[in-house]
Amino acid sequence: MRALAWSTAVAAGLVAVYLALGGASYAPAKVADPCAPRDWTQPHGLAEVGNQIILSTLDGVACKLGVSREEVVLAFESNDTLRRFASSHGISDDELEQLVRAGLERAIVDAERADALSPTFARLIRSLVERIPVDRLIELGRLLGS
Amino acid sequence: MEVEIRPRVFLLGLTVGIVLADSSVVTLALPKILAQYHVEITTLAWVLASFNLALALAAVPAAFLARRRPDWVFGAGIVVFSAASLACAFAPSIDVLIGGRAVQGVAGAAVVCAALDLLTDATGSDASAARVWAFSGILGAAFGPAAGGFLTQLLGWESIFVVQAPVMLVALVVLPGARAARVREPAGRPNIAANLALFVVSGSLVGASFLLVLLLINGWRLEPLEAGLVVTVLPLAAIAAARLGGRITPPWARAASGAILIAGGSAALGWLPHAGAAWTIAPQLAIGAGLGLALSALTERALAGRSAQAVHGGWTIAARHAGIFLGLLLLTPIFTAGLERNEENALAAGTAVVLDSEIPPLAKVGVARDILVAVDEANREVQIPSVSEVIGKQDDPAYRDLVSKLQEQLDRAVTNAFSRSFLVAAALALLALVPILLGRRDVGV
Repeated sequence: MRALAWSTAVAAGLVAVYLALGGASYAPAKVADPCAPRDWTQPHGLAEVGNQIILSTLDGVACKLGVSREEVVLAFESNDTLRRFASSHGISDDELEQLVRAGLERAIVDAERADALSPTFARLIRSLVERIPVDRLIELGRLLGS
Repeated sequence: MEVEIRPRVFLLGLTVGIVLADSSVVTLALPKILAQYHVEITTLAWVLASFNLALALAAVPAAFLARRRPDWVFGAGIVVFSAASLACAFAPSIDVLIGGRAVQGVAGAAVVCAALDLLTDATGSDASAARVWAFSGILGAAFGPAAGGFLTQLLGWESIFVVQAPVMLVALVVLPGARAARVREPAGRPNIAANLALFVVSGSLVGASFLLVLLLINGWRLEPLEAGLVVTVLPLAAIAAARLGGRITPPWARAASGAILIAGGSAALGWLPHAGAAWTIAPQLAIGAGLGLALSALTERALAGRSAQAVHGGWTIAARHAGIFLGLLLLTPIFTAGLERNEENALAAGTAVVLDSEIPPLAKVGVARDILVAVDEANREVQIPSVSEVIGKQDDPAYRDLVSKLQEQLDRAVTNAFSRSFLVAAALALLALVPILLGRRDVGV
């Protein structure tokens, strides 16, 4: 009977130690809520401002759709993935365009509020974004990334 | 020319060990076999499943045959097993390999069951024969993955099968002078409780003997030799426990202690706090010790007080390998579902890491795309991608930091993917306590 008590103590002790060290929560990190405001760091240079605008745009699109920012990024990987993403969320091309433009608008407003963009520069970007078709913007992003 | 008693016992034990090692010996070689034949995981799983299913189905009929002519059955089993091993080594297709494994299972059942009768003759008593037979089986089952890993890394996966054939054929020298008694009276009913417990415990051991090896090689990218070294802990613990545990009485308490240790070790593997081979050592020690205690106690219980040793030995083999087959059937889909679930989570977490990283903003899209392509390729090859190889640029601190964070998310995802299947294995081990406790008043124990 002593053997039973020992084996139970060893097994329970081992499990308790592993749980205490965080075994139950060792999983991929949860992604952030896109609707929650993100901190704007003080960007250095145009590229970093662009980076924060893109991240903020992604947050805006993701928040409207009720998905994570990361899902939106993965959807933009290729035209095929974008089509699959749009159809699984019941979004037409026009609606997708509106979502991206609304996200960009939110990002520019955020940047202005954080003093990362001057009002003049913000106006310039806004007018550019309004004129360039969204699919061109997406294509440009992919091209620059590769 | 007759062989002396000690070498004869050794050779008979060796054949039992080799046959039972075969149920898990190819586990570390599975990625290499997959790369050679380009098949689906479900097809690949049959390389393990076909052997165990055939062994489980053939064990009892083979045992009845072995009761009449153990020497013939042993000799025929050795020859067919060796031929099937060579067929596996030189299989031109996965179908031939799976077929060869099934033939190995049937012939292996004949060898193992007949060896028990021949051991009774060689050792002079049923009890000694049962001890040697059970211990050889434990050694084989425990050392199988490690031995397969060493051979795969040093000589290629085919060598696992090539090496077996001559070693098995050498054992034919025990046949001249074999005088196993041919029992004519009825074999009697098997010990239901002990065999049921063996069935469930063996199913739970699939976690440590199959899934742990996959985690080490496919998940954490260890080489077969390294993984072989890591999983050597388990057989060493099993041997020590089987040797020292004989003093634990009554035997049902030894079996129950073993099942509890297997459950604890498997649960700890399910709740690993970090990725890394070192974290598997303590759980392996527990599982190995549990295996040594439970399998020896349950096999002895199943054979105790029963005159037709080969037949009851056959029941234990059938129970053990049906359990392994059940474990593969039950745990593999849980594990693959875990992989799919964690792949999505890992991609999202990895993308977040890339987006929030310090690398140049315009490079982020490219890096994210490279990772997606690598994950797609890895899915085809069933191998986790190496983040540092995908990203490169290790001289840049921003990239180095990104690689480290991505690797952390990948390790978390892979380790978590195995979690549920290890926890189910732990639950199976606890379930074995039911037949162990119900059968604790069996006569002859």
